[in-house]
Amino acid sequence: MSLLESLRLALSVLWSNRLRSFLTILGILVAVSSVVAVVAVIEGLDRYVSNQILSTGSHVFQISKFGFSTDHDTYLRMLRRKDLTLDDAVALERTMQHARAVVPVVSRGATLERGKEEARGADVVGLGDGYPELRTLDVVAGRHLTRSDVQGRRFVAVIGEQVREKLFEPLDPIGREMKVGRHRFRVVGLLKERGSVLGQSQDNVVLVPVTTYRKMYGRRDPININVRAAGADVLDEAQEEATLLLKLRRGLNPWDEPDFSVSTSEMFFELYKNFTRGIYGLTLGIVAVSLLIGGIVVMNIMFVSVTERTREIGIRRALGARQRDIVIQFLSESVALAVLGGLFGVLLGGGAAVLLERVTPLPAAVRPWSVAVGLLLASSVGLFFGIYPATRASKLVPVEALRHEN
Amino acid sequence: MAAPLPLISLRGITRIYQAGREQVRALDDVDLTIQRNEYLAVMGPSGSGKSTLMNIIGCLDTPTAGSYLLNGTAVEGLDDDALARIRNREIGFVFQTFNLLPRADALHNVELPLVYAGLSIRERRERAREALAQVGLAPETKRRPNELSGGQRQRVAIARALVTSPSLILADEPTGNLDSKTGEEILAVFETIHRAGNSIILVTHDENIARRAHRIVRLLDGRVSSDVVRETAR
Repeated sequence: MSLLESLRLALSVLWSNRLRSFLTILGILVAVSSVVAVVAVIEGLDRYVSNQILSTGSHVFQISKFGFSTDHDTYLRMLRRKDLTLDDAVALERTMQHARAVVPVVSRGATLERGKEEARGADVVGLGDGYPELRTLDVVAGRHLTRSDVQGRRFVAVIGEQVREKLFEPLDPIGREMKVGRHRFRVVGLLKERGSVLGQSQDNVVLVPVTTYRKMYGRRDPININVRAAGADVLDEAQEEATLLLKLRRGLNPWDEPDFSVSTSEMFFELYKNFTRGIYGLTLGIVAVSLLIGGIVVMNIMFVSVTERTREIGIRRALGARQRDIVIQFLSESVALAVLGGLFGVLLGGGAAVLLERVTPLPAAVRPWSVAVGLLLASSVGLFFGIYPATRASKLVPVEALRHEN
Repeated sequence: MAAPLPLISLRGITRIYQAGREQVRALDDVDLTIQRNEYLAVMGPSGSGKSTLMNIIGCLDTPTAGSYLLNGTAVEGLDDDALARIRNREIGFVFQTFNLLPRADALHNVELPLVYAGLSIRERRERAREALAQVGLAPETKRRPNELSGGQRQRVAIARALVTSPSLILADEPTGNLDSKTGEEILAVFETIHRAGNSIILVTHDENIARRAHRIVRLLDGRVSSDVVRETAR
């Protein structure tokens, strides 16, 4: 019997036991759909993270009071650290050899108003004047904040696209007034649209001079200092330089542990990579367990199928089927079962990924290789767990199989 | 002129089953020669060894001792694949319980041996239709066994046995599950295919049915107790 014919026979048998077949493939379905969905989500995230986070500042590093903390004690210790100050930023800017730009950054949420229009939950970001050098923010109309804006503590602002839309549509915002909290600002520039990162709009933002920010909100909000190194080749030197200078300013010895954190977006990316490795590991576990369960279920159902069809096996053997033909017949059935499970799994996993992308900010990209891996895993499981029942079917003694009462 | 090669030649066929610690001698030193185009009935009470003889002649079972030549080929010592091939090409089985595949329609059931013979679908269809016509069934029979009467089922089974043009038709109580009128019709089908040149071995315990054959071999306790050739009019 040709392979194609065995396959057709297998499918018709599986179809005639639809419900049982469906229940049998659940384990494999779960396994394959998790492969496809998890890979889709993580690959989507990867693309996103490398686009959005990594590209936001090449050879840029950030100095902050807080670093990554994984436990409460570390957090409390960090809380007791001295704040970074605007003077620290100014000092770094004056003395650093390897920095192209040193930019103090501080931010909080606020409500923006203009007449009856308002924009809630906007990010008010106080910046030093070197920020255009970080190359993460561009203006499409008007101008950036300048040194004289910062030194003069002027109430001028560069707004994001979403703020323009909410407060100024259809007017040209440049030169017009708006309120940040209860303070009046004049809009001098409009930022290029940046889209959203993980559902968080990057355009609901207003940039103001960091000095003005301090005037409005006082000193409570912690300042971070972003530094752009003069080049990729001096990124490490720039970090060391900044660390040393800050230690001295904060009364530490050069050999002491710094009481502040220096991090790059590459470090973020590294952290993120560790995180996804963890998820992959977890998925691997789920997949392995569900494949094992799925395989055992397939094997059991194949044993049931063999027992139910003992008479049929006897008939086929009497009519000239070789042992090999019987093995192929039952193997086709278990492989077809498993591959069906795999196909449904691909549909389910792909569907879940697409759905996730639609209804949540998580991006997803179904990868052909994950589909291939899923189907390959499914068919191997069908083959592996089908061998024993199929062999047992083929070893039935024809005379006895023919006498079997069904 | 050489004597014609017999279809079947059994010499000293013995079959011993191990039943627990007991040994059961189902066949004990059976000699039997069957020529081409014979219509032979094997009779005997249950336990006489007629089923075992059937299975050995049909290559479903192998003897413990003795030699079996089918068409001059020694069957004993052949491997499983070779036996399957003989069952496929040389032998057509007809069972008391029909043994049709319940999920397949009549045509597919008749085609089944040809599937294992490796024929193309077109050829299979064609030969299966011919075989169905030979047993007096409509060649386009698309019905499944459970939609057929007992007589029709047995006709399908006979068509399946005939479809490979085997050397021998082996029928085990083929009328055992049929009423007497239908049984009569089935016997008529056997007579027709016998006249068409087929060799038939029919196992039965019914004297009236055995009498329709041209030769009656009686078994008792695993031995041939009588072997009578009846000269009835053809």
